[in-house]
Amino acid sequence: MRKNDSITGNFDWILFGIYILLIVFGISTIYSVTYNPEHPSIFSFSEMYGRQIFFVGVSLFLGLLVFLIDSDIYRKFSIPIYLFTLSLLIIVLFTKPINGAHSWLGLGAFGIQPGEFAKIGTAILLANYMSSFNVKQQNGQTVIVSLAIIAIPMLLILLQPDAGTFVVFTAFFFVMYREGLTFDPIVLRIVNAIPGVRFKSTWLGTHFIPILFVVVFLLVITLIISHKPILLDAYPGEEFSGYWRMFIALFVTSILGYLIMRSIFAKRDARRALVIALMAFSTSVALTATVQFGFESLPPHQKTRIELWLGIYEPEEGTGKVEDGADYNRSRAMTAVGSGGFSGKGYREANVATTKTEHVPECETDFIFSPWAEERGFVGSIFLVILYTFLLLRVITIAERQRSKYNRVYAYSVAMILFYHFAINIGMNIGLVPIIGIPLPLFSYGGSSMMAFSVMIFLLLKLDSQRKDVLN
Amino acid sequence: MNFDTRKYVIISFFVITGLMYGIKLFYMQVVDTETWKLEAQRIAERRIEVTPPRAVVFDRNGNKVIENKTYYNLMMIEEEMVDFDTVAFGKLIGMTKEEVLARIEEIKEGEGKYFNPHTKEYQTNYQRIRPYPFLKELTADEIARIAPQLDNFKGFYEEVTSMRNYPYRSGANILGYLAEVTQEEIDRDRFYKPAYKIGRAGIERFYEKEFRGKKGVKYIVTSARQNTVGSFEDGRYDTTAIQSQGIVLGLDIDLQAYGEKLMQNKKGCIVAIEPATGEILAMVSAPTYDPNLLVGRKNINEHYPKLVEDGNKPLFPRPLASEYMPGSTFKPIQALIAMQEGVVQANTGFPCNKSVVGCHNHPHPGSVTQAVQYSCNPYFYALTRRIIQQGKHKSSFKDSEVGIDIWAEYMHSFGLGKKLKTDITGLRAGNIPDSKYYDHWRGKGQWKFSAIQSISIGQGEVQLTPLQMANVAAIMANRGWFYTPHFVKSIDGGGPREEYTVKNRTMVDSKHFPPVVEGMRRCVHEPGGTASRARIPGVITCGKTGTVENFKLVNGRLIKKPNHSVFIAFAPMDNPKIAIAVFVENTGGGGGTWAAPIASLVIEKYLNGEVKSVEKEKRILDAKLSLWE
Repeated sequence: MRKNDSITGNFDWILFGIYILLIVFGISTIYSVTYNPEHPSIFSFSEMYGRQIFFVGVSLFLGLLVFLIDSDIYRKFSIPIYLFTLSLLIIVLFTKPINGAHSWLGLGAFGIQPGEFAKIGTAILLANYMSSFNVKQQNGQTVIVSLAIIAIPMLLILLQPDAGTFVVFTAFFFVMYREGLTFDPIVLRIVNAIPGVRFKSTWLGTHFIPILFVVVFLLVITLIISHKPILLDAYPGEEFSGYWRMFIALFVTSILGYLIMRSIFAKRDARRALVIALMAFSTSVALTATVQFGFESLPPHQKTRIELWLGIYEPEEGTGKVEDGADYNRSRAMTAVGSGGFSGKGYREANVATTKTEHVPECETDFIFSPWAEERGFVGSIFLVILYTFLLLRVITIAERQRSKYNRVYAYSVAMILFYHFAINIGMNIGLVPIIGIPLPLFSYGGSSMMAFSVMIFLLLKLDSQRKDVLN
Repeated sequence: MNFDTRKYVIISFFVITGLMYGIKLFYMQVVDTETWKLEAQRIAERRIEVTPPRAVVFDRNGNKVIENKTYYNLMMIEEEMVDFDTVAFGKLIGMTKEEVLARIEEIKEGEGKYFNPHTKEYQTNYQRIRPYPFLKELTADEIARIAPQLDNFKGFYEEVTSMRNYPYRSGANILGYLAEVTQEEIDRDRFYKPAYKIGRAGIERFYEKEFRGKKGVKYIVTSARQNTVGSFEDGRYDTTAIQSQGIVLGLDIDLQAYGEKLMQNKKGCIVAIEPATGEILAMVSAPTYDPNLLVGRKNINEHYPKLVEDGNKPLFPRPLASEYMPGSTFKPIQALIAMQEGVVQANTGFPCNKSVVGCHNHPHPGSVTQAVQYSCNPYFYALTRRIIQQGKHKSSFKDSEVGIDIWAEYMHSFGLGKKLKTDITGLRAGNIPDSKYYDHWRGKGQWKFSAIQSISIGQGEVQLTPLQMANVAAIMANRGWFYTPHFVKSIDGGGPREEYTVKNRTMVDSKHFPPVVEGMRRCVHEPGGTASRARIPGVITCGKTGTVENFKLVNGRLIKKPNHSVFIAFAPMDNPKIAIAVFVENTGGGGGTWAAPIASLVIEKYLNGEVKSVEKEKRILDAKLSLWE
């Protein structure tokens, strides 16, 4: 067996190529969007494009640093790294809030967002922990520890508060799913507590994560159904919570489900059908009620964003048109994208998504997809979607060829985090996802995100290049 | 257990998301792109209509009669107002704190108000980010005091605007005035927007389209804060606004001003026409007002109601819209018609027989010339009887019917009894009765000449506007033809409207004019003429006086009021330069006493450039003739 005789021997040039391509496109778009005729040079550090190039330089330096260190080090030091990123998350809570959130840690002229780096720390520790036990050994404790590794930074991020990064952390659940980490021990412990019930495994526990996401999707429908209060002719002037509709629907479905199951199952399993129906009913009611309650207790602007996304938003009287009020960001970004047409308005010809006109706010960061789509049209935007999808699939390919579980878990974490950022960011630019402020990886303006994603990818490249050293 | 198959769950997540986004992007950017392009236009592009300044107006000698003067509006953008110190601001602009706040409320509720035809309601589209005028129409002096301190009040800035200015302060009834457009006008003509000005009277109204010019259009890219970011696609679709090159009037503004001065403390009119062209040299309506009183909202709000309520009706354009009996000034036309019809020859004489109508003492007129000179009433009764009752029918009733229609047709050819096509609004037709008219009022077959004979001497049912009288003078000067009297001599360097270049011939041949014109000369220059006060040294003037009996209906009874004094004239006799009609109401005197000297002063001023008849002038200026009701 040939040991890697050079650093670049097993280097994945394709992933590196996509990485560079995205950065170049990103800088060109930032240049177009924030162009200042007084500083036309792309290297002007007073302008965002100059600064972004500086960030890329720093990122590449960090990447090289990451690459030079032996991959074993990360594994060994995963707990200190994790704790270091956690400590940053704690320190940041004591800073002065910017725009109402404690997300920025000032380092001289440039600030960093610890939330971006916490993803790396979490990924490394999760990989370390999950590779430490055999699948067969998994029990309630392993699930809880894994969850805790994810939940602690999430909690700290919620305190900032930074809803976007918080949501991104749920990406790790998919990683757990891929590794077969099952929630079954927990689910079984709850279910088998019911007298007379003794399951060996449940489908719910095994596929808990994908089911959870399907359920979340269904819960959205709950919100749509229950947002309008019920008015009964028999009780004029009184409003009943719209949630009762959901409750009744669930009740009827459960009874029907029970009857159907009883007719299918053997007679001795009639009791089992009742348990399943009761379980389904009670968990559904609990879940939908929680969502309903949680939704009601959201801050108004987030509630409005979700209502807009669901199409159930009703402006208060006298506040004018929806698109000029609460739905401003979304409708402006969509206008920029849609008006790009097939071939786009041309480079630096955008007049909706540009800082010159400010119609699309944050169009160099969270909404950077809209100027890209406005200037390059459908041709450009479909190219970018394909490029990102290709990037994701490439990371999966890399993940699947790893011999060590540690490497694979880490690679999947990278893939899922990139996917979340890609799906949410572009999704909100085209109206498919409610507004959640997270950057488009390697594309949006911003030092922290650029450095964090670079380190994340270079670490992956490093692990991948040394994959053959590992005998697992 | 092997979980490798679970990678497909994740891969399908990625691929499905990519596909979904691709489809949605295809839908937005290819299928539905027009919707979004329109939306992009709505939010990021603005079509700005650039309205050119209104035309500048010159008189015949190149004097600027109407110009545009720069004013300033103090604009306010609520969104940008921070730390607004109402007390200090009020002090700066001379308001109390309460007044400042009240004005802001007023703007919020009123300025953006418009009628929504869909909801049929008045709605306000006031927006915090839009500029609204806080104070309007400030002069340069006023803004100079405020502007330097505006930096202390964020959200306030000055904006240049322009308003009309009338440096000569005269000609109000000719020039007219501007006022803000009504909603109906905005609905009818897309040129106008709220707060636009439109000509409300005079030539400002008549030539509205020429005065306002052609709008230009600019397409600009606007920011979310409504600021202009730049021109759209380097101005590829822009057009420039075109201001009128200037409008030249036939008016002589100095003559106009002089006429207005002569008519001070009197009620009546002066109309002067250049016979060779039909251009109106002056048109005085007394009493008048300073046109600058009706410039801008503040002024209009203050002065317009006063002018409307004024019992002497200064806003009423008398020369165009007052219909007076012409009195004896009508006689020359009667003589001309009679000669053309062949019922009277130039040397036909009638005795001054005072049995039918009174007359003053003079020799029996032995010719048309003498009849005009003496203004002999019985002569013109006899003459007109011959026109009306030519003996074509046995029945004198039927005969009169035919005769009066012939007569009326002649009168129409003199521009009487119908509206002249003069380029101004508010014209009236006067009245020339015909058979239909009398049939209506007296019954068919119920009247003949003897019943209507007072028309012979320009009384009874005959009514003329002073403009028509002046036009008659112009016809006399031209010996039988006229150009329709008009104000505008040239638009944008071209000529007048085509209709003013067409010669209108009367039905009377030129050869019949000399005896009548000679009679008019004698009126002025011969002893015993009625208009000796119209003499000007070195100028041969031809004129005809008139003294119009004035009855007024008071409580259902006709009350005799002081006579009106009328005079029509032209000068010089050969190659006439000016034709004029003067009408002074309620003087009590005859045409020779007041109207003739006023006309002569105007003629002298126009022909000689200065007035040497100082005493005559003084007498007129000092006179307070009209009975102010």
